[in-house]
Amino acid sequence: MSQSPPIGSAPKVSLTIIAGFLGSGKTSLLNHLLTQSQGRKITALVNDFGALNIDSELIEAQHGNQVSLTNGCICCSIGDDLMRSLADIMRQDPLPDHLIIEASGVADPTRIAAYAAVDPQLRLDGIVTLVDAAAHALHAQDPYLADNYHKQIEAGHMLLLSKPDLVEAHQLETLEAELRANYPTTPQARVRNGHLPIEVVLGLQAKEQVQTAPPLTPQIEAHGLKSWSGHLPDNLSRNALADKIISLAPHVLRAKGVLADAQGAYALHYAGGRIHFENLDVTPSGHFVLIGKPELPNAETLSTLFQPARA
Amino acid sequence: MSTIYQAKSIRTMDPHQPHATHLAVKDGHILAVGTGADVADWQSAWGPLELNTDFAERTLLPGFIEGHAHMMEGLLWDYHYVGYYDREGPDGTIWPGLKSIDDVVAHLKQIQETRDDPSEPLIAWGFDPIYFEGRRMTANDLDSISAACPVAVLHASLHILNANNFIMDAADVKNADNSEFIRRDTRGKPTGEFLGQLGMYMAMRTTNLDLLAAASSPKTLQTFSQVARQTGVTTCTDLANPVPEGAEVAMRETVEKDSFPMRLVVAYQGNSRPPEESVARMQALQDKQSDKLRFSLVKFVADGSIQGFSARLKWPHYYNGAPNGLWYIEPDRLREYLKAFTAAGFQCHVHTNGDECTEVTLDAIEDALRAHPWPDHRHTLQHCQMASRAHFKRMKNLGVGVNLFSNHLYYWGDEHRAITMGPERAGRLDDAGGCLEEGVPLAIHSDAPVTALAPLFTAWCAVNRLSSSGVTLGGESEKISLEQALYAITMGAAYSLRLDTEIGSLEVGKRADIAILADDPIEVGAAGLKDISVIGTMVDGHVHLNKGRDA
Ligand SMILES: [Zn+2]
Repeated sequence: MSQSPPIGSAPKVSLTIIAGFLGSGKTSLLNHLLTQSQGRKITALVNDFGALNIDSELIEAQHGNQVSLTNGCICCSIGDDLMRSLADIMRQDPLPDHLIIEASGVADPTRIAAYAAVDPQLRLDGIVTLVDAAAHALHAQDPYLADNYHKQIEAGHMLLLSKPDLVEAHQLETLEAELRANYPTTPQARVRNGHLPIEVVLGLQAKEQVQTAPPLTPQIEAHGLKSWSGHLPDNLSRNALADKIISLAPHVLRAKGVLADAQGAYALHYAGGRIHFENLDVTPSGHFVLIGKPELPNAETLSTLFQPARA
Repeated sequence: MSTIYQAKSIRTMDPHQPHATHLAVKDGHILAVGTGADVADWQSAWGPLELNTDFAERTLLPGFIEGHAHMMEGLLWDYHYVGYYDREGPDGTIWPGLKSIDDVVAHLKQIQETRDDPSEPLIAWGFDPIYFEGRRMTANDLDSISAACPVAVLHASLHILNANNFIMDAADVKNADNSEFIRRDTRGKPTGEFLGQLGMYMAMRTTNLDLLAAASSPKTLQTFSQVARQTGVTTCTDLANPVPEGAEVAMRETVEKDSFPMRLVVAYQGNSRPPEESVARMQALQDKQSDKLRFSLVKFVADGSIQGFSARLKWPHYYNGAPNGLWYIEPDRLREYLKAFTAAGFQCHVHTNGDECTEVTLDAIEDALRAHPWPDHRHTLQHCQMASRAHFKRMKNLGVGVNLFSNHLYYWGDEHRAITMGPERAGRLDDAGGCLEEGVPLAIHSDAPVTALAPLFTAWCAVNRLSSSGVTLGGESEKISLEQALYAITMGAAYSLRLDTEIGSLEVGKRADIAILADDPIEVGAAGLKDISVIGTMVDGHVHLNKGRDA
């Protein structure tokens, strides 16, 4: 591991925090993400190697608390050493494209997210909180952990309901309605055995790829989700675009665009209620991609919304 | 050669013979304890023995045992102390307490002007703003020391850090992200104060300096042992250490030297690895131990701190209405770990500050003991500051011991009365009296570097229960006697570390670990306990004299 130059304008690492109680499916989700990285270089900081069932074909080497993968690496940090592990990872050269931190079951994910605010090379992509559909009633009333549970849900920029198959359909719907009532702008999705398109959890592909072609995978439809992509006119300001996306919340899970407006070229990242703009010095492709729930309006309505000039 | 030490007074902590004046040492162990009248008999039985009168005007006690400190104490002395109270450095220098933000700034300015390379990061520690009325320290204060190099001030709690604008600019602190861990002024601009480990992270990233890397280097260990020696400590804990592969060998090389003035008990950080692997690591450490280096404890941290509002409290929680604190480990996982280590026969020490956490931990210990009965496990609750009489009764029944954070009474007592606990609950904070009355084995500690390592001061706190403003916390039932306090910092701590057959009292056969004091604590009495001068120590019969004292 070589020492990187002092931090400055080097490329940004996207940070995703996976929060949720013990047994809520964080490890399954992480496993799934690592096996479908689609060319992204991912570093994962996990609580426990043992539970991760890493595909042996992905493993290049293992030493101590670090497993090198063909598409990134996994570092293990349990106990209270997260800060140092994070500092070590951010000194790696080259840096990963994406850093996933698996928060412990009692962690306050906003504490972890705060690191991105003081590190110019880290960009918080979002906090994904797993809600165990089968254990929700128990967790929400746990005498010692209920406050912690609600804090994690509140902190989530996206809520993933795990083990939907273990509860009756009407129970699941009641839970979804309850979460929607309490957190109306936070999008929700169901996840079974960790299977969810990587774009939903980690955001859409690196910006170079968004420039060329919208990276829609058939997987998205296969998971019962919806996507839409198109070329946006450059007379649409970033704030106007943000308003349009938010008008569709909570049905939008993700959006990404490499765009331009009067202020110049920029990348837009949207994850669960949070919009992040990043100024770019490349020629933007104008491509915009949106992933959402089946409740999203149809393609025609979406193009009317986002491409008013053409409508 | 064997030696008889003649002292003015020897307080042995051995009920069989509490007071003596002569003590014979052979091969690092205590050969005999008695008075001048016994010397002739000793000479004929064991002689020849050399009479040493260097300490004829001194008082000897068993070497003090600090049952809860951190090796980081040794690391911090690489940086500049800026605390509110006077603090003695490893070389005996007394660093005077700084009584205002301006004093702190002026002190650091002077250092900045005289140091060799003024472009290097300037790091200070021990700062505690709770004693300063009114304004808080800002980045501008630190810029006035230097705006051209990183300047960082770590707070006494270790959980807040102030940075100058040089660091904040390098870190590109984002205004947009409204993190509750970045303190802001009324206009939303970051003031330079960072909460949690955020500040430490930022300082490490921007200076490319690993502030904690040297945490177990030989130099850190050496400094740690020197601080211990200055206060009469002959056995000190490091609570806890993940003991990375190979660290045990490096530590042993340093600790084994006769010139190293301390026995070191490293508590292995139990949750630094998954349970099965962790137990295996602890097992592997067992034959790496020596007389002076022990890997005999396992440590867990179950919640945060009361003054940081991160301790887990029972209803009605915090006096000022702050939300309940944080678990640092899932209760279910704590249960799993305690079971695994109990099954393997390793003694566990668990940090529990709030009373809710204490209850959950006692539940977990009870569970572990039902599954793996162990009559003399001596699992110990560390800090355990808010335990009630009911908790102490339960500890007694379970065979659990306690190590209370008595220094808190002085340093944060006023804060606990006014803000965190309110007067009534603050009255039972670190209730050593209740603990002993209920029959629970007691030790008391400093948690250095959080507060200064100094067992006589800790004993003074437990006896007098005075806050820094002079308010008494609680009543007579929470206090302990002078004799009980001296026992707590010697035999009490030895028991909690399962070392009470080797150290903790001055009796035949035990190790010659001795604190050499200028005055006899029993004669000085409760009020003056903290001011007794420590002349030096003996560890395994080797004399280590303190810096800055006349022998
Ligand atoms: Zn501690």
